[in-house]
Amino acid sequence: MENPASGARRRGSFRRSLGRVVVNFLMILFSVSCLYPVVWLCYASLNDKRDFTVNPVALPKAPNLDNYFAIFSQSDMGVWMLNTLRNTAVSLPFILLFGFIIGYLLSRFHFRGHTALYGYFLLGIVIPIHALMIPLYVQFKKCHILNRWFTLPVAYVAFGMPIVIFLVESYVHSIPVEMEEAATLDGSGFSRTLFSIILPICRPVLVTAGIIQFFTCWNEFSFALILVSRDTLVTLPVGMTLFKGQYSTDYPGMMAAMFLSILPAIILYLAFSKQIIKGMVTGAVKG
Amino acid sequence: MQNPIAPKKHVLLLYLLPGFLLYTFVVVVPIFVAAYCGFFNWSGGPKMRFIGFRNYAELFKDGVFWLSFRNNILLTVISAVGQIGIAFLFASLLSSGLVRAKAFHRTVIFLPCVFSAVVVGFIWSMIYDYNYGLINQFLKLIGKGSAVKPWLSDPKWSLVLVTIPLVWQYIGYYMVILLSAYSSIDRSVLEMAELDGATGWKKAVYITLPLLKNTLFVCLTLCIAGSMRVFDNIYVMTGGGPGNSSSVMALYAYNTSFVRYRMGYGSAMSILILALSLLVIGGSRGLLARFSRKEET
Repeated sequence: MENPASGARRRGSFRRSLGRVVVNFLMILFSVSCLYPVVWLCYASLNDKRDFTVNPVALPKAPNLDNYFAIFSQSDMGVWMLNTLRNTAVSLPFILLFGFIIGYLLSRFHFRGHTALYGYFLLGIVIPIHALMIPLYVQFKKCHILNRWFTLPVAYVAFGMPIVIFLVESYVHSIPVEMEEAATLDGSGFSRTLFSIILPICRPVLVTAGIIQFFTCWNEFSFALILVSRDTLVTLPVGMTLFKGQYSTDYPGMMAAMFLSILPAIILYLAFSKQIIKGMVTGAVKG
Repeated sequence: MQNPIAPKKHVLLLYLLPGFLLYTFVVVVPIFVAAYCGFFNWSGGPKMRFIGFRNYAELFKDGVFWLSFRNNILLTVISAVGQIGIAFLFASLLSSGLVRAKAFHRTVIFLPCVFSAVVVGFIWSMIYDYNYGLINQFLKLIGKGSAVKPWLSDPKWSLVLVTIPLVWQYIGYYMVILLSAYSSIDRSVLEMAELDGATGWKKAVYITLPLLKNTLFVCLTLCIAGSMRVFDNIYVMTGGGPGNSSSVMALYAYNTSFVRYRMGYGSAMSILILALSLLVIGGSRGLLARFSRKEET
């Protein structure tokens, strides 16, 4: 132990080292359980269907990409991926833009109705949005905006906005007002100050918020399930459930599809794990 | 508004309006739509028949709904104990200096949090699978072939089995939150405790637990809110079955509205889910707040 005082208790040292082994073993066991499913998906997806049924956990004898070719030719995997990518790419900028602007305004100015508006957006965090699935469907149907390319982004932007508003709001408190005052004295208009001075300063918090929202949009399932049903608009998570229905016996194919669907998240995570962990934690604790 | 940097009123309005309207349309209006539709007998078509509070009356006697609610609560309890309990254990171990490769564990254990609930559900379906699942493979390997069974088809265990993936997926999330709280604890407090002879679990229970209390409460509120909205995992793994044994409120509302096309009834249910969720979330928050205040005085 790093503490010199513990050196006095030598008698317990055997027990302590035993404890250390046990504890390390436990942690490694759990870490492996987190890693193994991904590894399993990866190698089983390269396996032959027949070999897989003999022993699902065995390494493939002749690894090949047949399952991948099969899912792309026999299902709409490519379309699902593109749809998910488009939904995320369209939603993210708007979530951040609206969140940034409203968060900034709420943080800096005490205009009339400020407190009411603050509470109004807080509602979006408190409300369990899954309870809105059915009425939202009804409403979108009445407005004829089900099954459009923008259907899901509209929902995602609205759902994502509140948390970003509050992250930005608390971040802007830490920026000295002198920034804007100096800019105004130099003749910078409100919009210019907002976008060319405040926006760059808020970059860290926007990156954090962007990370959280990326995974939320990429993985969203329930609203994608009900608001969009046309083949050409189905997203990846929903597509996976269709895939399961169609090819319920094709396990390696399923695993190839699953591996492909989490691959972007894994790559992103491997590249930015520190920021992602930090971002998710900040988002959670502030929210 | 004598603030020199403040925008003119119309500029302010112009900036607020788009986000405000979108948010209102998607998050707030549906509540009223649900409240309205809840008074009708309606299958989603053009015919809507006003029936007053009869949907609600039916709802209060609907055994499946209350079973689903009970499942939500059970799931919340299992998740709270499993996720936060194990996360606390791991965070304590990792910050005790006993465990090597701390950064590695942290990164790997957090990994499942970035996966979609659908994929996690599928992965665990594979693990539970009768023919090729890891559990049954393992049982066969150690010669306990008689224990092999179609795990998710057992109504007694289905709810617990669909909760395990949730616990597994989010341990890392709470662990990381707790780890960051650990790192903010004053080192000298811990060293002092060690000098006084508090080691191991004693140190964890008597020294760090009280210091981490507020963070643990944050975790608990997050966990409760998360468990009340569970849907994806269960939809993928069992669809609420066998029977309704693993059904939760959101899933039952979905099935009522989109499988049995009872939109009016489903809307009334949405209102009740909203009320119950807010009650549970708000109630637990209130309790925790009271608890933490009492401790301080």
